[in-house]
Amino acid sequence: MEESATSTPLQGAVRDLTTAVVSALRSGDPARPYLRTGQGEAALAAVRVLGADALLPSVLLGTPPAPEDLVTYREALKAYPPPPGAAPASVWSHRAMARTLHRFDPGPPQLPEPAPEPGTEDLRAAPWQTLTHRLAVLAPLAVPGADCPVTRVARDRPVDVARGFVRAVRRRDWPQAAGAGRWLTLLDGVPDTLGLEAGLRFVHQMADGEPRVTLHLEAARLLRTGTTA
Amino acid sequence: MTSTRLVHDVGVRAIEWLHAHREGFRLEPDADPETGFLQRFKPVGELALICAVLFREGVAGSRQAALARQLLDHAWRNTLDGGRMLVRGQRVEPISPVPFEVYLPFRELGYRQPEMEAAARLNHALRSTEAFAMTPTRRLGLSAFQRRFGLPARPPEAELVDRTWLGRTPEPWTVEGHIAYDVTHTVFHLTDWGERPEGLPPRLAGYLATWLPAWIDDWLDLRRWDLLGELLVVDACLPHPTLDTRAWEGFAAAQQPDGAMPAVRTMPEGEPEDVFDIVYHPTLVAAFASVLATSRALSRLTGDAAREQEPA
Repeated sequence: MEESATSTPLQGAVRDLTTAVVSALRSGDPARPYLRTGQGEAALAAVRVLGADALLPSVLLGTPPAPEDLVTYREALKAYPPPPGAAPASVWSHRAMARTLHRFDPGPPQLPEPAPEPGTEDLRAAPWQTLTHRLAVLAPLAVPGADCPVTRVARDRPVDVARGFVRAVRRRDWPQAAGAGRWLTLLDGVPDTLGLEAGLRFVHQMADGEPRVTLHLEAARLLRTGTTA
Repeated sequence: MTSTRLVHDVGVRAIEWLHAHREGFRLEPDADPETGFLQRFKPVGELALICAVLFREGVAGSRQAALARQLLDHAWRNTLDGGRMLVRGQRVEPISPVPFEVYLPFRELGYRQPEMEAAARLNHALRSTEAFAMTPTRRLGLSAFQRRFGLPARPPEAELVDRTWLGRTPEPWTVEGHIAYDVTHTVFHLTDWGERPEGLPPRLAGYLATWLPAWIDDWLDLRRWDLLGELLVVDACLPHPTLDTRAWEGFAAAQQPDGAMPAVRTMPEGEPEDVFDIVYHPTLVAAFASVLATSRALSRLTGDAAREQEPA
């Protein structure tokens, strides 16, 4: 999900929503609405912060979202477009949200034109440490079948992402480790010696149930076991 | 790419400091014979091993080589009293491998002590030597030294590799400081301290090429210079060293103007002998890493030049 300058109510709302998404993932029933965790603006902004992961249960379990969740999701997408000159991560996250919406609501988008796709030259040239950090922030893009420019960069650099996973674990940066681990479950060419599966269990053990970490690990588990749509 | 001059200068300064502080290499003849006498041998053995690397690689300037030779002479004549202290250590603890491990690099550099020769052969023949409990990596080092002495390695090194941590190529994210030191020493022993990079089995070279960058990055940021220096040695032992610019710049910047390399973060304060005991090792490691990396950088240059001269 996207990092942003958060006020305390937003942080709380993001946490609540993340927990709700994890519950929906685990329940296997994303058709029950879960996106509206509160009334205020923070609840809607939280949907934008989670990005495409707000609909992750439907993406991974293959069950359409509840209609009211689609409404909320579309509302968040409209309300928080990337501002002019936004960082590429913000644009990619927004575009991924739009793609996910289109998947479950193929009608006319009734949305403003998406911001143009940022180039991936910087990401492609980034040292492995920076690459992993940026990919972890963009972990909601790590879903099966996604073919966006960011995914293509990740596919070309499995060893670098694996090194970044090692680095994140060594530094006890569990959100980054979980985000990188989620990407790695999607990539070919990850060195066997990494011990990814044990690594993900280790992160789970060490992260004390931090919702963002749990979300990525649940996603990785579903990606790994192949029980995805 | 890392500047070869920057890499080389780290070693020049390190040898200057070691030479200026050579009195720090000292034994404690009055230590309780049951506990302490052999404790202070390790630095002397490490000094000899690393000076040997410096002579072997041939990248030292004449002053650096002369200082290293004086250091060795000092260590042999003064610290070890012409080898007599090794004999004394052997008599205090006849089964200990330490005097032999310190003796071997001196022997390879032309220093001899007849009683140590006899003790090495006698100990090698004892079943107790092989039964003596040691970590697999230490055992690998002892077998390598037996081979270098001209004796059959017991047990053979090939049998020992897979028992080391590195030989089992475990999850790279579990590495902590003591494991990392175990890895570096496995590489030192398998390559005869960088002399035979081909001694590192391809499977292990591949594992290290993949994961070493992550470890170097980490211990650089933690400013653990002693361990970082050893990891930079490992890098120089690989078929394709990275000679990582960021790591070498950080390592060089940590070195003091007089050549001392702090072990962790910054220089310790205290009595000169205590400071020596803390920083002699990272400073030796700095010389070791510098010599090997300089040598690899130069062979890379000459290799490139040779290729350019080949007809297309």
